[in-house]
Amino acid sequence: MIPLVNALACLIALGCASFLWKKGSSPYRNGAMLVGALLLFCVFTYFGGEMFDARLVDPTLEHYPFRMMALCLCLSTTSLTLYRRRYLVLAQALWFWVELFGGIALFYRGFDIAWMRILAILGMTFCSTFLSRISKEMEFCLMVFWIAVWVFF
Amino acid sequence: MFRYLMLAGLALFLPGLCALGYSLYEGPSAWMLDSRTFWGTPISLFVFWVGLAHAGTLLSAVFLALDIKLDRRTALIAELSTLASLVFAGIFPLMHLGYLQNFYMVAPFLDARGNFANVSSPLVWDFCCIAVYAILSLLFFVMHLKARVNPALDKYRKPMAWLLFPLVLWVHTVVSLDFATTFVPEWRGAFFPVYFIAGAIFSGIALVNLLLCTEGYRVRLLERLQLICSWILCAIWFWDFLLKGTFFASAFIFAGVLPQLRLVSVFRENRWGRAALSVSVLFGLFLERFYLVSPEYGTSSSFGWIDLGLVAFSVGGFMLLFFGVRRLLNRYAENAGAYFGEVDGSDMAKVEEAEDAERVAASGLGVEKSKKGFYIQPWSSEEYRILRFPLLVGIAVALIFVVWAWGQLPFVNVELSLANVLPLVYPVMALATVMTLLARIYFVEKSFVLHRREKILGVAILILAGACAGTFFAGGASETSGASVDVAAFGENTNVDLAQSALVWNARCATCHGRDGKFNEKFVREYYPVPPKLDLPRLDSLGTDSLVKVVLNGRVNMSAYANRLTPAEAYGLVNYMRSLAARDSGEGAR
Amino acid sequence: MGMDRREFIKSCSLVAVMGLLYGCRKLPLDEVARLGDGPTLKQFEDEVKLAVSQAKKQLDLVKVSRPGPLSIPGASPLNRFGMAIDLDLCDGCGECILACNKENNVPLVPEDDAARGRFMHWVDMRSGAPFMCAHCGKAPCERVCPTGAANHTPDGLSAMVYKRCAGSRFCGANCPVQARKFNFNDAQKLGLARKFNKEVPLRDKGVMEKCSLCLHRLQNDRLKFKTQLSVAVAAAGNVSVKNAAENATEWRGRGVTTACSDACKRRAIIFGNWLDEKSPLVQLTKDRVLYAPREIADLDPSVVFMRGRR
Repeated sequence: MIPLVNALACLIALGCASFLWKKGSSPYRNGAMLVGALLLFCVFTYFGGEMFDARLVDPTLEHYPFRMMALCLCLSTTSLTLYRRRYLVLAQALWFWVELFGGIALFYRGFDIAWMRILAILGMTFCSTFLSRISKEMEFCLMVFWIAVWVFF
Repeated sequence: MFRYLMLAGLALFLPGLCALGYSLYEGPSAWMLDSRTFWGTPISLFVFWVGLAHAGTLLSAVFLALDIKLDRRTALIAELSTLASLVFAGIFPLMHLGYLQNFYMVAPFLDARGNFANVSSPLVWDFCCIAVYAILSLLFFVMHLKARVNPALDKYRKPMAWLLFPLVLWVHTVVSLDFATTFVPEWRGAFFPVYFIAGAIFSGIALVNLLLCTEGYRVRLLERLQLICSWILCAIWFWDFLLKGTFFASAFIFAGVLPQLRLVSVFRENRWGRAALSVSVLFGLFLERFYLVSPEYGTSSSFGWIDLGLVAFSVGGFMLLFFGVRRLLNRYAENAGAYFGEVDGSDMAKVEEAEDAERVAASGLGVEKSKKGFYIQPWSSEEYRILRFPLLVGIAVALIFVVWAWGQLPFVNVELSLANVLPLVYPVMALATVMTLLARIYFVEKSFVLHRREKILGVAILILAGACAGTFFAGGASETSGASVDVAAFGENTNVDLAQSALVWNARCATCHGRDGKFNEKFVREYYPVPPKLDLPRLDSLGTDSLVKVVLNGRVNMSAYANRLTPAEAYGLVNYMRSLAARDSGEGAR
Repeated sequence: MGMDRREFIKSCSLVAVMGLLYGCRKLPLDEVARLGDGPTLKQFEDEVKLAVSQAKKQLDLVKVSRPGPLSIPGASPLNRFGMAIDLDLCDGCGECILACNKENNVPLVPEDDAARGRFMHWVDMRSGAPFMCAHCGKAPCERVCPTGAANHTPDGLSAMVYKRCAGSRFCGANCPVQARKFNFNDAQKLGLARKFNKEVPLRDKGVMEKCSLCLHRLQNDRLKFKTQLSVAVAAAGNVSVKNAAENATEWRGRGVTTACSDACKRRAIIFGNWLDEKSPLVQLTKDRVLYAPREIADLDPSVVFMRGRR
């Protein structure tokens, strides 16, 4: 996947995140939104990663939609009103989870693990357990950090 | 009700038991095996039951950790279903083994010969994770029961819930890695951890919903979750289809399409309708696991009676176990029904009260909120004692284990990197943490008293565990191959001189026993316990004949050389050994 | 902790019963059931013919470079044994399969297994050429073996410790070319095994096996070499002889062949040491193009195919 499409994926995740967890929405609506976002990510990865072309298939894209989902969940936690720190940590833990175990699965098939990315997410997860009040500035910093991890590592 | 369900379970279980016995006797050729991957029905059933085993911890621990209200009765049912499913999830990988006697070699456990499991194998991770998960779920369940009598224990439930929450996901992640790390084209997928966990949560919720139908009440939250999970799983199947072109139509119909009938109120409001929806989900997910494990299904292999028997064994056994324990708890527990709460939800209020009280008592993570404004010394706070300190112990133990395992290579030629050992970290950590917690409960909580019967049980478990560990540590003795040779017929007419024996010794024996007869410690320590030193008094006490017998027929770790040496050569070797020992003792005297 | 004598005796006897049960694992009946000579040679020949006629699996070959020294820790810089199969010479007669079966005591399979194509043969026929375990340098089977029964020797062989195998079949699932064979039947009890070669043990039911590159021949040669070396040193008794025999102080496995390679009348299977310039393997593959099955081409196979000249 070329870097430009990778950055685009980040924007799409950001866009989807704004639709999640609207105040007072029913669990069905939330679930449907999640599933819709996931389907969108799948289609995006399929075409953006040119996976229809059997010669170019890149196994590292196998968990790409789920990484997008995790990023989307991370971004969406900034708009929560209750238990923000807890879900922030959980969403980052999910991202860490997807990256780490996806990496291990690929490692057994001969690909290197993106340790930098994993360590960055792990470090951020650990640090954000100490956040007591999440201000607007802190929200912005977190989002910039996640996007930077996504784009550069 | 429970009695009839138990009897139905028994009716399925008994023929299933026959199938299990036959397949244990006959080995892996008895059941359906995939011709390409050598895996078959037991592995599908294993993945299925491990998935179901997540219901309990998921609903109880995750909801407890996330402060989602769930009444005690539902939580207990879910935890009990976890334990019952885990029993079957444990049986199937064991019966899958071709050489069952060697199962303990899968444990990362150093035996007397210095053998160690290959920790880079996902099966070893599996073994550890499931063992730890089983122990912790059992403790969680017991603590839940005990907390009913002794409210002082309630504050320990939340730390345990926070430990079990990642563990339940970790277990299924590792199960998914069994598949995702291989080169089988149908199993490739770095997204398998998410996929398997979604499937496991889905099937676990379906199972709890089904069990709630037998209890005669419903929890709408769980039914909604079941529906939402079916959507999520369909989305993941869509990705699987895009990636590999595989699509399991029947699994999709049963687990993806039929659950949508919950949107029709006729199905939703009818107890049988709800049960049918859950059964459909479970059946669909079983089919999915089955097709996934056997990619060649239909071309060269087919589902037979034994496979049906194995399915019946697990389903019947689960019903028997679950409803049996359920009845037992109903009948013998003091003030029956108290354990399982009331149907009308009045119990719910009590739980909320209890949790409020819990928060006030500053347990788990609630501590900062309730004591805001007060300065608590970090080392003496309650939270530190019941959560952080055990966790720190756990992390320390896990680190020590990883460093130790890294050094314990069964052979130097296995490449080991961090990614190979990492999946073992969390289970070890969780186990150590919970053990620290338990030790604290045992020694610190004044109100916690064990009954005499419980003490006996504890001691028995300890002794059993010790016996098992000792047996595993001893390992199997090497058996001599071939019929043993009787040396009496040859007599002592050695026609092999010392020089020639020296050559044979250097070629055949020196690797372990050393050129000078003092044994090669560097080599031997890596593979076997050090053989006894062959000094002169020892040789004399053993006698030439018995030594020749040992050389030819082998003994404990000494291999038999009957096929490779003539008896005359063996005599020569014993003589040479004696000359070495004599030289050695001579040097020692000087 | 309160534990009276009765409880103590109770728990002790429990342990004793456990121990007894453990000791009775090996039934004396097993010995009685062992049969005499086993099947005739004719049966083995017939089975090989059947296997050759049934062979359907295709090989998708891609070019690979010459195998070099292994990168795994502890690997010998001197030896890496392997084979090359000359597709220009091979006519697919199947003699190698029979020779291998006799050398390694590969058992027969019952009829229903044979009908399903589930043979124990370490050498298969694929695309009309013999095909066996490639002893990959980065063997996926070894990585997933939980007990360490599948491991790599310093000499580049992918070896099996039969006694350590728990039969999880994970290695079989992870072999991209299905070169591993699983003992579904107790061949000794069914009278399907015959010990042609006393140097190779018969395998138990429930363990994995596969081509060992005739490991016992290599081991015998190594022992012989060491013995002769010590003879030479002993005869001269000083350092000067060591210099005289300097090119022979390290064992390179010269002169060893595998059973399949011996049996091949057209000399299409060449065994040798990839790291030894004097090995026939290196000399005969010098100007040839090497191929390996597509699935394992990235895994550094030691057994390769060759076709056409460069």
